Amino acid sequence: MQAHEIVTTILLALGCLVSMTGAYGLLRMPDFYTRLHTAGKTDSLGQFLIFLGLVLVTPDLLTQLKLIAVAMILMIAAPTATHAITKAAHLHHLRPWTKGDPGGEP
Amino acid sequence: MTAVVLIDTLLLLLVTVTAVAIIEVRNLYASAMLTSVYSLLMALVWVNMHSMDVAFTEAAVGGGISTILLIGTLVHTAREEKPLKRRVHGKALALTALCGAALIYGTFDMPRFGDPKAPIHHFRVPEMMAQTVGFANSTAGKQAPPAGFDPLEYRSFNGAVPSVPVDPADTAWRETSVLAQHGIMLPKVNGHALHPAEPGHHLHPPDDFNGHVPNSVTSLLAAYRGYDTMFETTVIFTAGVSLILLLRRPRREGYLQRSAPLADQAILRVVSKMAIPFILLFGLYVITHGELGPGGGFQGGVVVACAFILFALIFGRPALYRVLPPPVCDLLTGLGVLMYSGTGLACLLLGGNFLDYAMLDPISPGDGEALGMTLVEYGVGITVSMVMLTIFNQLAEERSK
Repeated sequence: MQAHEIVTTILLALGCLVSMTGAYGLLRMPDFYTRLHTAGKTDSLGQFLIFLGLVLVTPDLLTQLKLIAVAMILMIAAPTATHAITKAAHLHHLRPWTKGDPGGEP
Repeated sequence: MTAVVLIDTLLLLLVTVTAVAIIEVRNLYASAMLTSVYSLLMALVWVNMHSMDVAFTEAAVGGGISTILLIGTLVHTAREEKPLKRRVHGKALALTALCGAALIYGTFDMPRFGDPKAPIHHFRVPEMMAQTVGFANSTAGKQAPPAGFDPLEYRSFNGAVPSVPVDPADTAWRETSVLAQHGIMLPKVNGHALHPAEPGHHLHPPDDFNGHVPNSVTSLLAAYRGYDTMFETTVIFTAGVSLILLLRRPRREGYLQRSAPLADQAILRVVSKMAIPFILLFGLYVITHGELGPGGGFQGGVVVACAFILFALIFGRPALYRVLPPPVCDLLTGLGVLMYSGTGLACLLLGGNFLDYAMLDPISPGDGEALGMTLVEYGVGITVSMVMLTIFNQLAEERSK
């Protein structure tokens, strides 16, 4: 196994691990906002690590550039989508979970 | 068990779970989102089968725009499904079980997935591939025409194979076929070694018919069953026209009913301002590139429509109507269909059959094919994007009293 393949394996494993923690947080967290908090952040980092890993094993420059472009677009689009969803919930007066208050619909 | 089968099994299990969830969930918004998840999972299944065009369509149409349109519809209807009176309906269960059993019984006759002995790999398709996507003079990645090549004879070739071989592994019949006698573009398995790609040209995988067929799906869609695709476009056109007739308010009442609720959202405004030009560019790329790679008019049209819908969502429909007034949108809907049939008619006037694209460039039929297919894809793209936009606009409007 060559050096760049080892780096790719590590990056892919890290990306998968980060995405897994996001999925676990989605199930574990108590309310809507905290769930989006885990899912949104980990997705952005996880996909970036996975794409970075794939770039290193791609032999062809054009495909590498395409992968980087996709990673960059997701880097901007995913947090914006999370923001939009959270904002929509906030505008509909969904209360966040606090100590002694389970939150939920008004 | 190979990795492909393992991934397929996992994906299909997820698809089944999603399908059950769609039926079980009573909240219609959740149901619409699950439909989108279902489409994305199916797109992954298609990718696993290496059918990129189908995957692209599924992701763009199923995962993208139909979710938007479904949610747009839900605004006008209830949020929750009515509770069921009876959980199990005996007759319906028996009927669906019977239909399912019949379908499964039908699949027993089909060749296994990827079977090289399947009839489709041996009878019509190889000749059709060789015929439809021709070569071009000095175009990188395409074969130059042989000396003494007669375009007229090339065009009059009807694709008939002398006889279907009894043994599928026997490919000797190809050597005796009409095309082989001219020495043109015979699809050969692993034949890419015989035709090394030009320097700087992207290397094709060995199953890609020597790189001569840039995208066989588009060639099938636009040439082999060109009529079919033309009438598919007409169906979409008809859907748009009927929606306008059913839902659009009379012009004297004005097109606009609501204000723009999201215009004060700074982040959304900035990001969508950044994203919309690239989405439009990508949509045009998908339409133009359809004859070379995965993509085409339907997918590209949907992507273009999504850019306009995003614009309308963030900046409000008044802004959209300033950019693209409904009368212009209606005109473009018809223009797409006209472009498709007009290309066919041009071929007819140039002396060929209807939709015989090779006629567009008599010197090198391959370039004519490429030109005709690009024009046709643009026709499809324009109609699809404008009809999708019309559907969105009509759903967003209040109905006329």
